[in-house]
Amino acid sequence: MRSHVKGLILSGVGMLVFSSGLRAQMGQQAGAAKAPAVSAPAPVHDLSGVWNMRATPAQRKFLGSTYTQEGPDMTAWSKAKYDSAKPSNGPRSNALKVTDDPVLRNCLPPGTPRIYLQPFPLQFVQTPKEVIILYEYDHTVRHIFIDGRPHPADVTPTYMGHSIGKWEGDTLVVDTTGFNDKTWLDRDGHQHSDQLHVVERFHRVDRDNMQVDVTMEDPKALAKPWITQLNFQLKPDWDIMELACTDNAAFEDFEK
Amino acid sequence: MNRRMASFALLVGIMTIASVAFAHHGTANYDTSKTVTVKGSVTDFQFINPHVLIVMDAKDEGGKIEKWQGELTSPNRLSRNGWTKSSIKLGDTITISGYPTKSGSTEIWIQKVVLASGEELPTGNGN
Repeated sequence: MRSHVKGLILSGVGMLVFSSGLRAQMGQQAGAAKAPAVSAPAPVHDLSGVWNMRATPAQRKFLGSTYTQEGPDMTAWSKAKYDSAKPSNGPRSNALKVTDDPVLRNCLPPGTPRIYLQPFPLQFVQTPKEVIILYEYDHTVRHIFIDGRPHPADVTPTYMGHSIGKWEGDTLVVDTTGFNDKTWLDRDGHQHSDQLHVVERFHRVDRDNMQVDVTMEDPKALAKPWITQLNFQLKPDWDIMELACTDNAAFEDFEK
Repeated sequence: MNRRMASFALLVGIMTIASVAFAHHGTANYDTSKTVTVKGSVTDFQFINPHVLIVMDAKDEGGKIEKWQGELTSPNRLSRNGWTKSSIKLGDTITISGYPTKSGSTEIWIQKVVLASGEELPTGNGN
């Protein structure tokens, strides 16, 4: 045992004493930063720009791996799969050599909406035909068709699904279906099937802040819809950069 | 074995809130309830995905050189905090603080980097 253990124990006591006060302090600071005193009004029907997800103080302890503190109401089918999953993140965290997270193990596209839990920014690009979301994580792209088309009658299952959108007032409502069942709903190992249906409601609160209300439905995996709200902050000075999943493989040997 | 290490209650308190939630992989390899600090000479600095790596030689209390490896967050996130691939150079003496491994190996999940000049490089915790 290392000789610094005693010091660590003392520091741990100190942490217990001070952390609650710090949490309160940090929460106040974060809350103040999240809602700037002055922000210009949101442009009309325009989500263009680079955005970064920002956890609310209440979300900080879980949003790195999942959407809600309590998790989804699972069916027996998905609960069994969840129980046997070996995630790398969250409370059941496993080492990289052990995890069977399809994103970390095989570099599969994260799926929708899990892509938001990959901790990197995203960019909206709009044309009359579609809203394009460029996610920094592993060059992932979604095309959200806003030209009035329906989902294809016999849609080909994909990782990110087939998305169509329409403006309802100042909210872009995006309906996504046509998923395969190769990915997880989150980084905790919660499961979905090819019957997953996701609705995202993108609402730009003002120029600098956007709320996204997400509803996940899956009759095979979820006993009732799983609902969450994600918050994003505009980053005018940021550019989307390269981030290749294949580089992760080198890190399996780093952990000892 | 190694008296060089120290821990900081304040730092741990902040990091528990800000950084654990965001990483490409989980915390299974690390004991995030503890913080260690190591000072040494940089022998390798890799500004690579998914996490930036620092390797350094540090002396233990008996003067014996130990090799320490540390991982930071992604180069993208560090770039947005002002880093470049030249922010740390081979031979630089730096002090790193972060989470030790559960196994007790000489690896660390870096949360804080301080240059010899005393300048602290922001590590992008919590963005």
